[in-house]
Amino acid sequence: MTELVPPAHDPAIARPDVAPAADGAPVGTALVVDDSAVNRKLLGHLLVGLGIDVLEAVDGAAALSTLRDARGAAVDVVLLDVEMPELDGYQTLAAIKSDESLRHLPVIMVSGVDEVGSVVRCIEMGATDYLTKPYDSALLRARVNASLGAKRLRDLEVAYAARLAALHETVERQKQELTRFLSPQVAALISSPEGEQLLAGHRRQITVAFADLRGFTAFAQQAEPEELLGLLSEYHEMMGRAIVEHGGTLEHFAGDGMMVFFNDPVVQADHVERAVRMAVAMRERFEGMASGWRKRGFDLQLGIGVASGYATLGRIGFEGRYDYGAIGNVVILASRLSGEARGGQILLARRAQAAIEELVETESAGELHLKGFDRPEPAANVVALRDAPPRPD
Amino acid sequence: MTEPSAPTFDAAVLAAVRDSVDGDEAFVLDLVETYLADGAEQIEAITAAAGAGDAGALVRPAHSLKSSSFTVGAMRLGELARSLEQHGRSGAMDDAAAEAAASRAEWTAVRAALRAWMATAR
Repeated sequence: MTELVPPAHDPAIARPDVAPAADGAPVGTALVVDDSAVNRKLLGHLLVGLGIDVLEAVDGAAALSTLRDARGAAVDVVLLDVEMPELDGYQTLAAIKSDESLRHLPVIMVSGVDEVGSVVRCIEMGATDYLTKPYDSALLRARVNASLGAKRLRDLEVAYAARLAALHETVERQKQELTRFLSPQVAALISSPEGEQLLAGHRRQITVAFADLRGFTAFAQQAEPEELLGLLSEYHEMMGRAIVEHGGTLEHFAGDGMMVFFNDPVVQADHVERAVRMAVAMRERFEGMASGWRKRGFDLQLGIGVASGYATLGRIGFEGRYDYGAIGNVVILASRLSGEARGGQILLARRAQAAIEELVETESAGELHLKGFDRPEPAANVVALRDAPPRPD
Repeated sequence: MTEPSAPTFDAAVLAAVRDSVDGDEAFVLDLVETYLADGAEQIEAITAAAGAGDAGALVRPAHSLKSSSFTVGAMRLGELARSLEQHGRSGAMDDAAAEAAASRAEWTAVRAALRAWMATAR
C-alpha cells in the first residue's frame, strides 16, 4: 500500500500534474472542489481533456481561500461537490454568491444521482448548472463549455467597460490639457459635435484686437533674463485674465504681442463692445503694473489696435501643427493700428468705431497711412467708456 | 448493524470510468492507486475515531471514503462508509466500533479485488 506517495506540497490545494490539451493553450480554468482525491483526480482529468486548466480544493473553505487569493483571478468556473464534510456545497455556494467579487463566477454543482433533489435548491441559490456522478463526459463538456462561454462574455463586457472608462479618462485629460494650451473656446470647440465643421473653415464677421508693448525691445536688451521672464509672466497673466473676462479667443501670444478675436467660435452679438471693453481694461491694469516698472527704470507702454470685419476662420497650419486662426484684411488692419498706436492708445478702425459710437468717448487719430493699405485709414483713440469714469491722466 | 447487500467490487463502474476517459488505461490504474493510498489513510482514521468514540473525527474520513469507493466500484465499502458518516453526524456511536471493524475487513477484500482487476488490466 505504498505505491503512491502523497504530494509533498500543500495538500489542501494541489495542481494536478497533467499537461494541458495537445491543441494549445487552455481554454479556461476550472476549480474542482471535492473532498475525495479520487473524484478530484477523475474530474480534473476529464476537464484537462477538454483543454481546461484545473485547480483543486479539498473542501469549501479551501475553495474560498483559493478564489480570494492570487490564483482566484484565473478561475472561470467552479465545479462544486454538493456533499462535503464541514463547509458543504450549499454553504460554499452561498459564500460565493454573497461575495461581490465572486458572485459572477459560474458554479456547476456536482452530486451523486441520489442527491439530485438538493441540486434544485442549489440552482435557486444561484448555481449555474449541475452534473451527476458518475460523470458523463459529453454532458460535462456541454455544461462546462456553456459556463465558460457565459463567463468569457462577461469578462469581455468588463474589459470593454474598463477600456471605455480609460478612454473617457484620456479624453477628459486631453481636454484639460487643451484648455492649458488653447483658448477655452477653441478647446471646447474641438470636443463639440459641430467642431469639425467649424475647424474646417468658415467666414464670419469678427472683431480683432492686437496688443503689444512699446519699449519692449530696449527693455529686453537691458533686463536680466529672470527679470524679463518675470515681467512677461506678470503681463501675460494680467492680459490673459482680461481676455477670459471678456470672452475673447486668444489666437496667439508672441513675446509681448498678442492677438485676440471675438464672435468666433462662440457667437457674440456685442463683439465690438467686448473687444473695446477688454482693451480699456487692459490699458487700465497695465498702467498699474507699468508704474512699478518705471520706478525700476523700465519705460514700457501698451498700444492696442481694434478692427472689425469679415475673416476666414478655422484650422490653419500643417499636419502635426495646427492653430485655430483668422485670416483676412481685418487682422492686418488691427495689427497695423496696434503698430501705429502710441503708448496708452487704443486705436479703433472706422467700422469698429461706428459700431459702438455711443458707448465710447473717442478722439480722432487722423488718417493713417498703413503698410499694405492703398488708401489712408481713419482711426480714433478710445479716451474712455461712457459708462465708466474717465481714466485719470 | 445491518449488513449491506451491495457487491464488494463492481467492475462495470471502473469500466464506465475507463470509457469516460476514452479508454485511457494508465489513467484508470493511476486513479485506483490514488484510491488505495487515500483509502488506507481513511480506514486508519475511521478506526481511530471509532475506537475513541470521537463522532466529529469520524465524519470526514467516512465521507471521503464513501464517495471515492462509489467512484471505483467498491459499493459495499461505500455503503459501510455512508453508515459510519451518518453515525458521526448524529453522534450515535454505539455501532461505530463494530462498523469500523467491518469496514476494515471489507477494505482488505476491496484491495484484493482491485489488485486483481489491475493485474488483468495491465
